[in-house]
Formats: sequence, C-alpha cells, structure tokens
Amino acid sequence: MNTFLYFRPQSLDEVITLLVRYGREARLLAGGTDLLVQMRHDLIAPQVVIDLKRVAELRADVQLLDGALRIGALTVLSDLIEDARVQQYFPALVEAASVVGSVQIRNRATLSGNICNASPAADTAPALLIYDAQVNLIGPDGRRTVALRRFFLGPRKTVLQQGELVEAIDLPLPREASGAAFTRLTRRRGVDLATVNAACLARRSDGVLFAFGAVAPTPILVPVSDNRLLVTSLDAAIRRAILDEVAAHTSPISDVRASREYRLAMVKVMAKRALEVALQRLTAAEAQLSPCSLSDNLWRRT
Amino acid sequence: MEKNLIPISITVNGRRVELEVQPQHTLLKVLQNQLDLIGSKECCGEGECGACTILANGRAINSCLVLAVEADGWEIVTIEGLAEDERLDPLQEAFLKAGAVQCGYCIPGMVMSAKYLLMKNPHPSEDEVRQGLAGNLCRCAGYNRIIAAVQMAASEKEAA
Amino acid sequence: MSASVENQGMVQWVGSSPERVGGRERVTGAQRYTGDIRLPGTLHVKLAHLNCGHARILNVDASQALRLKGVVAVLTADDLPKPMPRFGPVYNDRPVIADGEVKYFGEPVAAVAAEDEDTALEAVKLLRIEYEELPGVYTIDEALRPGAPLVQHPSIRAADDPFRQSNILNEWRFGWGDVDQAQADLVIENVYRFPLVTHFPIENLAYQAAPEKDGVAVWSSIQHPYVLQRAIVTALNLPASKVRIIAPDPGGGFGGKGYPKYEPLLAFLALRTGRPVRLALTLEETFQAIRRAASQIRLRSGFTADGRLVFQDIEANYQLGAYADIGSRVVSKGSYVAAGPYHAPNVRIVGRAVLTHTTPSTAFRGFGIPQLSWALESQMDEAARQLGLDRLEIRLRNIPAKGETVIPGDKPVDGDWRMLLQRAANAIGWGQPLGKNRGRGLAIGMKNSASASASFAIGRLLQDGSLLILSSTSDMGQGARTVFSQLAADELGIPLDRISIVMGDTALAPFDASTSASRSSVFMGNAIVSACRQIKTQLRQMAAEAYDMAEDCIRLQEGKVICGERAVAYDRLIRDYYGAVRGEVIAVGTARGKYLPNHPLGGQAAFWEVAAVGCEVEVDEETGEITIHKLVTVTDIGKALNPRQAEAQDEGAAIMGLGHTLMEHLILDEAGRIQNLGALDYRIPTINDIPLEMETILQENGDGPGPYGSKGAGESGILAVSPAVGSAIREATGVTIHDLPLTPEKVWLALQEKRACENSFARPLTDPKSYVE
Repeated sequence: MNTFLYFRPQSLDEVITLLVRYGREARLLAGGTDLLVQMRHDLIAPQVVIDLKRVAELRADVQLLDGALRIGALTVLSDLIEDARVQQYFPALVEAASVVGSVQIRNRATLSGNICNASPAADTAPALLIYDAQVNLIGPDGRRTVALRRFFLGPRKTVLQQGELVEAIDLPLPREASGAAFTRLTRRRGVDLATVNAACLARRSDGVLFAFGAVAPTPILVPVSDNRLLVTSLDAAIRRAILDEVAAHTSPISDVRASREYRLAMVKVMAKRALEVALQRLTAAEAQLSPCSLSDNLWRRT
Repeated sequence: MEKNLIPISITVNGRRVELEVQPQHTLLKVLQNQLDLIGSKECCGEGECGACTILANGRAINSCLVLAVEADGWEIVTIEGLAEDERLDPLQEAFLKAGAVQCGYCIPGMVMSAKYLLMKNPHPSEDEVRQGLAGNLCRCAGYNRIIAAVQMAASEKEAA
Repeated sequence: MSASVENQGMVQWVGSSPERVGGRERVTGAQRYTGDIRLPGTLHVKLAHLNCGHARILNVDASQALRLKGVVAVLTADDLPKPMPRFGPVYNDRPVIADGEVKYFGEPVAAVAAEDEDTALEAVKLLRIEYEELPGVYTIDEALRPGAPLVQHPSIRAADDPFRQSNILNEWRFGWGDVDQAQADLVIENVYRFPLVTHFPIENLAYQAAPEKDGVAVWSSIQHPYVLQRAIVTALNLPASKVRIIAPDPGGGFGGKGYPKYEPLLAFLALRTGRPVRLALTLEETFQAIRRAASQIRLRSGFTADGRLVFQDIEANYQLGAYADIGSRVVSKGSYVAAGPYHAPNVRIVGRAVLTHTTPSTAFRGFGIPQLSWALESQMDEAARQLGLDRLEIRLRNIPAKGETVIPGDKPVDGDWRMLLQRAANAIGWGQPLGKNRGRGLAIGMKNSASASASFAIGRLLQDGSLLILSSTSDMGQGARTVFSQLAADELGIPLDRISIVMGDTALAPFDASTSASRSSVFMGNAIVSACRQIKTQLRQMAAEAYDMAEDCIRLQEGKVICGERAVAYDRLIRDYYGAVRGEVIAVGTARGKYLPNHPLGGQAAFWEVAAVGCEVEVDEETGEITIHKLVTVTDIGKALNPRQAEAQDEGAAIMGLGHTLMEHLILDEAGRIQNLGALDYRIPTINDIPLEMETILQENGDGPGPYGSKGAGESGILAVSPAVGSAIREATGVTIHDLPLTPEKVWLALQEKRACENSFARPLTDPKSYVE
C-alpha cells in the first residue's frame, strides 16, 4: 500500500471541505472492509484517506423516527442485525446482513459503506431495495435524499457527486402486513460472495417485489404486477412462467464464480424460494404473529 | 520515501502504549513489527481467513483491515493478552484438552473469535459456534475439535 | 525393524493421547514461525514478476529502483553466476531466478532487498522490465500437441533423454500380464480429470537467510531440511558443513513446503549484501508458488460378468509446471500403484509427467494417488452398475487378502483391506433405505509409503536424567514431537515433561530423508526407539562397571536401573559412573529403507497406506448443491501411537479431500494467469462446509513395520474421498461426472443434461457415457 495523508475530521463540514479540496484523490474510510482490500490489491491508491469515525454528526446507531428507521452512516452490520426494531420490521435485511462476511467483518462493515461500495453482488442491497430504502446524502450543496433504487449507476458507481457522502439510510416503516425474505446461492456453505442473491417482499395491496444481486451491473428491483404470485396454492407451471419473466429482467454475466446460464437458472430458483418464505411470513403477519418467530426455522437445512 | 509518522495511543493487553505509525500500516503490521506481538498472523491480508483476529474495544475484528492510525484510543486484546501470567484462559486450556491444535497457525485467530463468541453468548449451540467461527479458516481442518473445545470451555464456565 | 514391546515396565504413553507437545506455545501466540523470527539488521525482500505465464525477458532496468533511499540491492539473473545455478530434488532444472525467460505466472524476475517492506515494494514498482509475451502451454492437451512450444529447452535435458524435444518430462511404464490378449465380458473406458489445486497452508511461504561465518544460514518452514541443504549446496557451491538450515515448525505443509523454492535466491542475497534477508510471500504469491499436479487419466477396464477385474489399461497424464520439482516422482510413484488395491491379472500403465508453463507442481498430500483414485474408484462403481452388482460387493471380490500380491514382485498386502471397506460400509448404514435425493458412496484408496530412505535420531540422556531427542522430522501439525516423546518416555521410563525434542536445525539434528510419505512415525519412530534402546544398553554397561555386577543381572524398570536390591535413578548412575564432573549417555538410532537400484522406485514401500471412505450425501436438484450428511474414514494404521492426533489427521485429510471434490480449482486464463488468485475466489472448506457428521475409525491390527506394529497415516484419508462422494451423487441423482470439482454448477449442468436426454427419449438411457458432462 502506498502512503497517504490521513485525516480524522470531527465534523461534517470538515469532511466536505476535505472532499471538495482533494476530489478524486480522497477516499472515505468507515469500516475499511472494502477500502483496505482495494488498496491492498492496488486497485486504488488514494492520496488522502478521510476517517469518518470521529465525525460528531454521523451516528453509529439505529433511530426510530416518525415513520422510518434511520440507520446512521457509521452503524455496523452487527449492531444492525441485533437491533430489535430492525428484526421486527425488516427481517429480510437482518437475513441479508447476517451473511455478509464473517462476525469479524460485520463488527466493522457499515451498511452505508456497503451500498457506497456498490458491488453488484452486495448482499444488503436486494433487501434494502425491497424495503424502499432512502439514502440521505450531504454535500457542499446541502442535503438530498435519493431512493436506493436510483442510487446505483453501475458496478462501483453511485449517484454520489464530488464532495457528497451518505449521512444515513432511512427505511420507511411498513404500513401494512407484509412478508419478506432474503436468500442467496454461494459456491460453498461457508462465508462466500453471492453467486446470486434475492429478496422478496409480499404485500396484499401491491403484490410482490423482487430484488436481485450479482445478476446485473447493479442490484435491481423487479416489481411483479401479476398478483397471482400472492396465491400460495398457485399452479407451479404458472408460477414458473411468471418467475421466468421476472428473471428476464436480469442480465447475468459469466465470471470466475459462475456462468451466465447457471446464474439465470438460479435467479428463478432463488426467487421461488424467497417468494415461498415471504408468503409464509405474510400469512403469519396477517395472523398477527411475529415474523421473527418463523425466521429461525425457515432456512434451516436438515 | 518520506516517512509520514502519526502518533497514536493505544491500550494493548492492558498496557497503554504510545507509538508513531505510518498511515498505510495496518494494525496487524504494527502489532507484529513495532510491538513484537507476533501471535496475530497475516495469511490472506483481506479479511477472509481470520488469522489476524483480535479484540478491539470488545469486538472481534480482522486487524489486517484496520489502519493502525484508526486505532488511536482503542483498547486491544491480542492472543498474548488472554493468559494471566502462567494461567491460561479456559478457552486456551480447552483447545489443548480437546486436541484442537495441529499446526497452530490459525489458532490465535480461532481463540480470539471463540473468546468473543463466549463473551456475547456464554452457552452457544453448535450452530452458533459455527457462525461465530465462520470467519476463521483452518487448513489442517481441525474444525470438529475446535467446536468441541469451544463447547468444552463454555460448559466449564457454566460449571464454575 | 519391527519394534515389539521390550519394556519390563508398562506401556504408559504409546496408544494414549497426551496433550500436544508445543500446544501451549500455539494457544498463547508464543510460537515463532519462520516469518516471526527477528534478526537484527534484516533487509526485506520483495519479488517482481510479470503478468503473464510465458515471456522472454528482454531487459531489467533497476536504476530507478536502486536510487530509492533504503534500497540496498536488486538481484536479477545477470547478477548470478553463469551458467545460472539450477537446483531441484530430482533434476537440477530450476533456476535460482528467472533466467532470460519467465515460465510461469509468478516466476520471480528480480528480487529487491531494502531496509523495510514498503521501500522494497515501492522499488519493485520502479523496476522497468521489458519483455515479450510468448505463446505458452497451459494444459496437458496444449503441451502434448505436436509443435507446441517447449517448456524446457533441450539443452538442459539429458542428452540421452528420448523426450527432450517434447514437453514430456518422463514417461513411466509399468505392468504385468497381457492386457491386449485379456478376455473381458465388460469393457469400460472413460477419461477422468483432476483439477489444479493449491495447498493454501494458513502460514504463507516465508524465508530468511543470513551469512554465517564463512557459510550461510537459511530459515525456512521446510519439511525436509536436508533436501534444502542439498539445494543450497548445489546452487551456491558451498560444502554442506557450511550450510545451516533452520526449519521452524511449519504452519501447515501438506507437501507444499517440502521442496526448495526461493531459498537459494535468498541465500545469494544474504551473501551479496552481507546481511540477514527476509522474504514473506503473500497468499497470492504462495498460490503462484505451489500446487498439486492436475491430471487427465484415461482408464480402460475389463471385468468378468461376476465383477472380477480382468485388466486395467491406464494412461495417466499429470500436469506438472515449468520445473520438475518432485513432480517426476509424484508420477512414477503414483503410476506404479495405478491399478489400485485390487487383484488385477493384466495391467498396463503409462504415466506421463507433462511440463506446462504453470506453477511448478510439487508434493501434495496423497502424492499422485487422489488423482488416480478418482478414476479407479469411479470406474469400479460404473462396473458395478453395469453388471448389476453391489458397489461394496464388487470391491470385496477384487481386493486381495493380507499376504497376497497386489503388485507382482513387490511388498505383499500388509493389512486387512476388505475389513476397512466393510467397516466404512457399516458406519454409513450401507444397504439401508435412503431418503429422497440422497445417496451413499464407498471407495478405497491405497498409497505406497516411503521406500529407500534413511532417518537418524540422536538420543542424549543428560546429566540430570532428562532426555533430548534430536530429530529432523518436521512437526507441521501432525504432532510428531508428541509421538516421539511418547515413544521415548515409554522406552526409558522418563516423564513426558522431562523430554525435549529438538527439530529443525541441521547443525543439531542429524539427517532425515524427509517428512513425507507418512513415513515419520515408522522411520523416525524406529530410529528413536533404537536410540533409546542403545541408551538402555549403555546404562546397563555403566551400572555393571559402577556397581561391579554382571550385566545380565541388571535391568531397567520404570525409569530406574535395577541392580539387585537397588533401584538407581539415571542421574545417580551417571554420577556414580563418571564421577562428580558427570557426563551423559548418547546414542544414534537409524532406520533405513533399503535402496534397490533395480527397483523402478528405488526400493519397496515400507508399508501400504490404505483407507476406506464412506459417505452419505443429499443433492439439491434445483441448485446442484451437495450436503454431506456423513463422512466416514477407516484407516489401516497398524497401531495408533497417539489416537487423537491420528484421528485429527484423518479428519483433516478427509476435509481437505472435500475441498478438491466440491470446490477447489485454480482457473487459468488463455495467458496462463491464475484468475482466482487469493482467498476471495479460491474456496477451501470452512467450518460450515464440513460434513454434518464425521466418523474416524482406526483399524489397529499391529501389522505395521513401525514401533508397536504401527504404520504411518495422515494421507490415507484424502485418497478416496472424491470417488466416494461422486458415487453417492450418482446414487442420489443418476448423474455421473468425470471431472472434479463437483461444484454446484457442474452438478446442476449434469442434471440438466440428464433431464434433456430423458425428455428426448422414450425410455431412459442405459449408456452411462451419455451422462458425461
């Protein structure tokens, strides 16, 4: 790793000033689990590293606001996973965050960092997308909010402008009973990057939402207008046809992890499985049972 | 190369240390090279193998993914800090008793991850032990005995 | 030499599982591995290599690098003697550094030595290397194509080598009977492929070197210190008496740390700069330095209608890398037993070591046999299927009994191999009903242990009655120190904690051929027992003189010398014999496998290392993912000197086998570059990838040549894992795959193809070949 200037600003103003001054030469450091890996491999060699962890205005917790949960920029995945409100309202996000790396990674990696890194295979992204996450940005021109579904532009590219950073991520609280699930396929059972990941949200009012990762240049949201998917007893052939169409929205590539064909086939399988669990949770939610009580058992393999 | 040195103050294994570090040096490198705490190991250097696992402010993390400068003001515990003088931590005893140590290179990281697990969850199920150690690779593949060691340590704590 | 229990005392330690010697240092982080050693004034070394698999080096301009403050030296081929010194365990073919040509992705072109690592890294970036990329051969097929670029120039091959104008390093032919005349009711022919895999020890390769008086000292986690010594002697033209090898316990070896790689380079740097030098490779550089020989094996087998082998016709091509390393031995030794643990009346084996522009392959647990077992055992299963026989039964029909011949003219069967399979079958519930998408598999693997090799051990009973054993075996996780302590403790009745095993220093511990081939508990174990017994003999002689008694009235019991009424402690006897100034009792034990110059392998195997594997798997037909519900290994160990350590080794071997079976493969691009270089994309089994249930069974019939009838172990567990799993997948799904690894995608593809076949035919196909991927 080359050397660099290291700054540890205490305020957002300082951060923005530094970002504006150094432009592309500067990188933000929160958990470091992506940044340091990229630096070690000489993929990037920033002249300036700005450590966000002492910035007073950036929070490392989850706040319950009116109508939303606000996840501070410095909130690490471990804390996110253990937050009772996140567990209650956003179980698919808990599932997704739980498979990011290992305990050691999750004790450092921030949710904001995960989305800013904008890997097409980021596990948290599909879950955040189905929950309609809103990204609060702050920069030299002030604050703005961007829906996550508009946040990713391409592999490792986001709408962040020069001088902007993520201040928090808001998750609108569900206004009706819903069921959601996250699943993924990997090359081995143990810690791995996703070959394909998928999240599904089921609501009576507007049907089913899917989101996928690792099968397009960015994580993608695929809403399904066909409400028949909400029917658990739907004929398998019809479901298959609907899911084939969902998969047609993806554009997987072949790489060292998997081939295009396999990814495409697995999108359909992962969608089907996520849908099944989401529907079970929807039923439970409608029956006023806690969705969390189901989540432990639904993914257990023998 | 001009050396850009930044002073930091960290507490390592209960002892406060004042150091000057280069910004691009990881905490792991500084522990190894400036404090001769060679127990934490570098293997993959990218947070995939867990051989560098330490406790930082009470959390298990990969020290290869932390810049030493970030650790200013932190409290660190490395494998060297577990034993009290001659008395081994119950986890260390359990690893020996259960025959979990083969080549030993993954062991410091494993023990630190296990330490963190038991701090948070004193009576983990086998599944929870696996999740807690999922970020630690062992090529000698002593996994079964490592799981047994952690469970042994957990049940001994219970008995105590 | 087969040891029997001579002690009139109890056997207290052998057969039990005391705590690992050296365990405490490992759990406290005190253990110093090669990279942890700190020598004052050390220079840090970084290597420069090209981003391709084959290139001509036109020029290396180090001027900018040398101007960087803190850079002390840059070494390239031009800075070394001419002709370029070359070394290797079998052929002196490997240059100390790339010599005019880069022959594998990762081959060092230049080495920078600087005051610190950062400076060395920066200096590497400042090197201006001009090169011309050349076409290379990166697979067996490419290497064997007529007119293919030659990996090794004919000028460095032997003048009388018939293959010098090709990429065939060696061709070995073994066999007996007459395959072409043999009459079989069923003939099966398939090609089986085993992938490129790398050792991935958790300790990366690391080396240090320093000038020492008028010679050199080299630190390396080398499994075979004396092999390294020989390489330094050859490359640097120094006498062995001035080459000291210090070998700290490796952090995992598995064969990858057996043979010299960059130590000669470091030795040159140390002597050039006059300072200690240190090179610690990254994980990626370690992947580029060591791997197993991949293989392509064409196997044609003939059976009678009742399942007996009539012939085996084997063509085994192994993919070596750019330099032979120990690859030629892997092929010869593996090919020699290619027909497996079976009685086969007609056998023809052709084993080829094929050079390619890739990482030099080296020894790796199993030494050529896992590749063969994958073919042999998969084929045995297919024969069973086609003949309508049970897969256990067909094997039992073909496995020879103890004392019978397995390889004509060589060591007879030395264990109850049928019982291994039977026990494995029982342990996985063979024959019992199976759940949906589940299958079971059984397989047996056989390896030949070390043949001609020698081990020396020095025993020093010190003046206070404590004991030092000097032995150059390498304790890389298998627990050699513990086993040796146990043997010595029982021989001499000395408490375990008063015994120290000194390893890893050629100035202290005498010659050992190697820590490989699962030979150490037998060879070094016997040498240690011998040394201890000689000490006992000397003690009796000393007592006879000191106490004026007849020697045959004196015996040893429970750590004391019994002379009539008196029980004399060792330190007392030393004092009584030598006087107040004291002395010690010292002996050299040896164990040797006889060298037979006319034997194809230089000698007969000391023992056969054999294990059976059984498994039950479940296949997720939608994704191709495999769940291993149960994995069982049964090893013919003779006598488990330390049962727990033996089990841990077997388990580790089996899980490592799951690695190459389910997930490990190095992926090269068209320029020979490894695409999945590093821990992110080269997957090894994690704690969540191990079987849901594992059982390790040790078969102890006391029929080995080691102490207490022991045999070696540690490799048998890996040999037959892949065909057992493949067999189970076949039972669960009906698909047969001939290429490893059985990744979810590969299994899924095979399932897709099977479904496509079934849909396009009225009746199910019976020809298994059409299920091939």
